[in-house]
Amino acid sequence: MIDLSRRAFVGRAAATVAALALPLDLRRIGARPLGGTIEPLACAIVDLGDHAVLRESITGFESALKEASIPFARSHPARETPLVIVPGALRIPSRAARLLSDSLENGATVILESGAVFATLQSREFLDHREMLRAVFAIEIDAPMSLWPADGIPYIDYTWPVRVKVRDFSRVVPVRHHGGEVIARAGGVPVAVHQCQGRGTLIFLGSPLGPALWSGDREARRWLIEGLGARG
Amino acid sequence: MLQPWSVAYVPAGLFYVDSPRLMKKAIGDNMIPKDWGLERGLDLVKRAGYDGIELWLGDMPWFQMTTTDSEIRELRRKVESAGLVVSNVSTGLHWASPLSARDPKVRTQAVRIVERQVETAQLLGTDAILVVAGLVTEEVPYNEVYQRCVESLKSLSATAARAGVKIGCENCNSEQRFLLSPREFAQFLNDVDSPAVGIHLDVGNIHDTGFAEQWIEMHGPRITRIHVKDVLKHRGRSGDQSVYTNIFLGDNNWPAIRSALTKVGYNGWLVAEMEARYRYAPDQQFHDTAHALDRLIAGQLS
Repeated sequence: MIDLSRRAFVGRAAATVAALALPLDLRRIGARPLGGTIEPLACAIVDLGDHAVLRESITGFESALKEASIPFARSHPARETPLVIVPGALRIPSRAARLLSDSLENGATVILESGAVFATLQSREFLDHREMLRAVFAIEIDAPMSLWPADGIPYIDYTWPVRVKVRDFSRVVPVRHHGGEVIARAGGVPVAVHQCQGRGTLIFLGSPLGPALWSGDREARRWLIEGLGARG
Repeated sequence: MLQPWSVAYVPAGLFYVDSPRLMKKAIGDNMIPKDWGLERGLDLVKRAGYDGIELWLGDMPWFQMTTTDSEIRELRRKVESAGLVVSNVSTGLHWASPLSARDPKVRTQAVRIVERQVETAQLLGTDAILVVAGLVTEEVPYNEVYQRCVESLKSLSATAARAGVKIGCENCNSEQRFLLSPREFAQFLNDVDSPAVGIHLDVGNIHDTGFAEQWIEMHGPRITRIHVKDVLKHRGRSGDQSVYTNIFLGDNNWPAIRSALTKVGYNGWLVAEMEARYRYAPDQQFHDTAHALDRLIAGQLS
């Protein structure tokens, strides 16, 4: 039984925003226009530049948040940012890893999407990716694996925060060890987990969700938006 | 006074052609028998009556991704020495490395292929390239393919425009499973929104899903080049069994296609792309196809 409610999906840091009443509506946190300067942000999308290898994933998360009228910006997270999304990450520089770790300590929800699905097992980038996940988030991953060819479509079966099937992205990074709950599987293989870290929640996605958001997969959007408690 | 070919009258039972300029004929260098070599092939193309040759990047040893600029210039010299010009630069490399691939590394390679096509088109003195834009598969769905292709082509259109080259996206309807109707293709080009990106129309590729003449009418000035072959409709495509055949042997309505070309004022290249090869006397196919193109251009169709 997963003990983290959908309401809590956006992280315990939200509770520090005292003026907010649950269910949390990220649309009401900081009416910050893109590029503006008003704090706090509802959501920071961390663009790792060359290390964000799935660029369309960034666009996907942004388009889904925009559709749900959730204020966001591409930026490093501020201390009080309740939701941090890191799309398509392969190598995560140590400074960025520290920021994510701090955000978790401060109670944020961090969605970390692996961009390692197309990496080769012995590549420097993949080894760094795996080591960072182990050292910073205590998550162990296996080698990226292909879901194709397949009998039928190897949908990713999410069980939390809503039960949905999302289009696969050809390959996944299986999760071997973690400190929380499996929230998605591909043919029985765990590919996404959430776990508590510090006062926050880490959601690790070993199957890229951003490209499905980008291409308009309704169920992918439902997973994200309903999970945010901000039905758009 | 009538200019030559401005109005051509053909015998009774045939129909009229009204074109300000003759269309030109070309054929792909990948039709040259593998053991012939470039010079012998060019000689055949010229003798058969073609005006130009379509060069396929990646298909023949003389035109690869690794071919240097100086080798490309030498290639142009050989083409022109044979009395021909390069009609356009095509490639089949995008079947293996599509712009719609999920793997960013594959997409980077796909973009590089288009860039090299643009570069070589400039070096070869032509202003058009053919791109197989996207590939819908069971694995990579339509929505992804569409968006990736639009984004890639928006970006590449600037490169092409700077070089004075037009990118012609080919309609490979059945093989790509993408942009299956002329309206859909038009919307795609609208979304790319660049005069440097149009359609390389293949009148043989439409199969059972429509009529080539309607594609010609709808796309008119956006047509960069035309691939010509005939198609056996109502057969579908089954494994390796081709539905393509020689011009006038299949089910395309050639009088309708010719009329539509006149209607939209197309006076560019007709590029023969013959999938079915003559098993014996392969050079004969060059002659037969050239004659068929001559009749199509002249409108000598009953």
